[in-house]
Amino acid sequence: MAGGYLVPMALIVIVLACAAVAGVLHRLVRVSLVLTLPIAISVILVSALTRPGETVLLVLGPFDITLEGIDFAGQTLVRLFAISTAIGLFTLATDPRAFVFDLERRGLSPRFAFIAAATIEAVPAMAARAGVIAAAQRSRGLDTEGSLRARLRGVLPLVGPVLLSSLTEVEERSLALEVRAFGRPGRRHLLWWPPDRPLERVARWLLVAALAGLVAARLLGAWPPIP
Amino acid sequence: MLELRGATYRYAGYARPVLHEVDLALRDGEIVGLVGGTESGKSTICLVASGLAPLSIGGELRGEVRIDGEPTAGLSVHELAQWVVIGFQNPATQRSGVAATVFEEVALGPMNLGLPVAETLARARRALATLRIEHLADRDPARLSGGQGQLVAIAGLLAMGPRHVILDEPTAQLDPEGSNLVAAALRDLAATGAALLVAEQRTDLLDGLCDRVVVVDGGRIVLDGPAAATLEDRRLEDWGVEPPSRVRLARALAARGLPSLAELGWPA
Amino acid sequence: MAGVSTVAAGAGGASGAADAGVAAAGASRAAAAAIEVAGLVHVYPEGTRALTGVDLRVAVGESVAIVGQNGSGKTTLVRHLNGLLRPTEGVVHVDGRDVTGERVARLAGFVGLTFQDPDRQIFAGRARAEVAFGPRNLGLRGTALEAAVADALAAVGLADAADVNPYDLGYSRRRLLAIASVLAMRTPIVILDEPTTGQDLRGVALVREIVRGLVAEGRTVLAISHDMRFVAEAFGRVVVMREGRVVLDGTPAEVFAEAAWPALASTWLEPPLAARVGAHLGLGSTPTESALVEALAVRS
Repeated sequence: MAGGYLVPMALIVIVLACAAVAGVLHRLVRVSLVLTLPIAISVILVSALTRPGETVLLVLGPFDITLEGIDFAGQTLVRLFAISTAIGLFTLATDPRAFVFDLERRGLSPRFAFIAAATIEAVPAMAARAGVIAAAQRSRGLDTEGSLRARLRGVLPLVGPVLLSSLTEVEERSLALEVRAFGRPGRRHLLWWPPDRPLERVARWLLVAALAGLVAARLLGAWPPIP
Repeated sequence: MLELRGATYRYAGYARPVLHEVDLALRDGEIVGLVGGTESGKSTICLVASGLAPLSIGGELRGEVRIDGEPTAGLSVHELAQWVVIGFQNPATQRSGVAATVFEEVALGPMNLGLPVAETLARARRALATLRIEHLADRDPARLSGGQGQLVAIAGLLAMGPRHVILDEPTAQLDPEGSNLVAAALRDLAATGAALLVAEQRTDLLDGLCDRVVVVDGGRIVLDGPAAATLEDRRLEDWGVEPPSRVRLARALAARGLPSLAELGWPA
Repeated sequence: MAGVSTVAAGAGGASGAADAGVAAAGASRAAAAAIEVAGLVHVYPEGTRALTGVDLRVAVGESVAIVGQNGSGKTTLVRHLNGLLRPTEGVVHVDGRDVTGERVARLAGFVGLTFQDPDRQIFAGRARAEVAFGPRNLGLRGTALEAAVADALAAVGLADAADVNPYDLGYSRRRLLAIASVLAMRTPIVILDEPTTGQDLRGVALVREIVRGLVAEGRTVLAISHDMRFVAEAFGRVVVMREGRVVLDGTPAEVFAEAAWPALASTWLEPPLAARVGAHLGLGSTPTESALVEALAVRS
């Protein structure tokens, strides 16, 4: 039973160690908790309350909370955290420009470079715009600090201009980009892309091999799923 | 030479055309000012001349746009961009968002054209030097003042190597410092020999800069002539255009029978 | 650098070649203060010190233009006046009351603030409805509401566009619509943020007329502007800001006088042509064309 926890927790420790080195440990923990907790809560509830087992710990109305149920919930939880911390580490520790340029020099179309980076800019820009819009509407007497009904009435005056001005901005942006030939098909000669060090190349191949090995082990039955 | 011949343009989704039979010529090395009241068609002329209308934004264009005698119909936007580029009012929306430094930002245009690295670098350097913003090369494009941002945007256009540069109200959203920066940059731009079409409300900016000034009203060209004479034309105000300060002052003096500015010893 | 001269000009907006010591100085000190700001400091959450100690007193019925480069603190300052921003240090009094902690929606009935970008505000499908939003929030209904809307639309020259979709109006007319939506709220204090930017001849004339009309009604008008000529001709007082402080404060004649040019130059501002010509000809301070013409006519 304990074995089901060992590998995922080891992975989590490795990921957190990498995050500490990259300086994103604090943010990673916060982001992973925020993302995983909702799912975790439902998993715990469902498994702990309904999973059949032999050792009943507690009886809660029609539900028998068994040790096996708690164990299953626990194992699923650590796996969820292992996944979310790994993905979180990738997102937080990677410079999006470096990532996209690297993909492009390996053959990805330049259009992806633009789309990827432009969408990263979109969210903070929208947030800033929403702030100005809220200020303008409040200055015209829109009450954002009052009753629920008052706040609901404020939805259209707040959301409408955000959407409309975002659309206008997208149009302006795309025209400006077209003039600078962002729509041109075909390769371009990048000025810079992240260097590929031998250590990183080895690490990449090892990880790919490990993944292949895991999949094979699972298929051949050498690594059983959680009971 | 960039020419509009009989250009009549209707925006997509609108019933009536905004431009009517516009004839406009922009010759190499010329600086032409474009003035007119709001909604007179200045911006539309800029969009049509740059090819973005109808290529990018749709709509219907009748008449022709020609470069060196050849019609531009059939060219794609990025092909056209090597001949004519257009800059807009807002420095923030002209920023690509994919460049970490100003140098990278300016180099994006030539890089997108698929030019070899050496050529891209050379063009970026030259553009920064022309507009005298080499000192901004390592700065984050998102953290510049409005005027600086506008200069970076113009440098980015210049790096495409076009023969015609169209600017649609480049100082409209700038403070006085920014406007001065851009005004100086316009002179530097003109010195490169590129043809320049500048749409502006601020006639003071165009005064002394342009060779020719074109006045638009109701989607038609109503006046097209040498800058000095055009900016002194008395009908400008009827067309919603504020004459330059010196012209207004001269008229106020003349109306009271007072000596002219020149006679008073004010240098022209 | 010229020192800060704080002269509270009397009511009424016209400039002209006013004397440096305004005769009404004593009377204006006694006049009610519409706005009183003392030692105002504002530091934004990310650490930017936008205001580093601003003192400003605006009497009821004054028309004041606030000028300076972007980043000098103009917008930050006016946003304290309707409660959008709270002071880090210092006090802000509007209409005699300390407004720290007051809700913006409540202060909106006293201080009308226009914003530069109409597209970050407009949400209604018809101009009329857009203009009605503000006064409706203040509790106006029925014929009173209709009258306020109609007057505001007429003041910005959009009376015939009342049932038009705002996005069918050009950008400059939408800017005027945004101004109308604040005018309709009939606030005693009106603050206009760059009202002439992007306007053509007719638009600027409209704005000038709006300012004149508001002052004639006894309202207090503040405007942020980059147009020195508009400022010199339409306002009774000019406040110049730089790096979060006020560096010049006086009538247009004082602020654009030759003695103040070094201070102006330090903020990258240039006096209007009329002022420069007047100084060149030794005519004293002539901030507007009419002042210059008068001074010349008197001399000859």
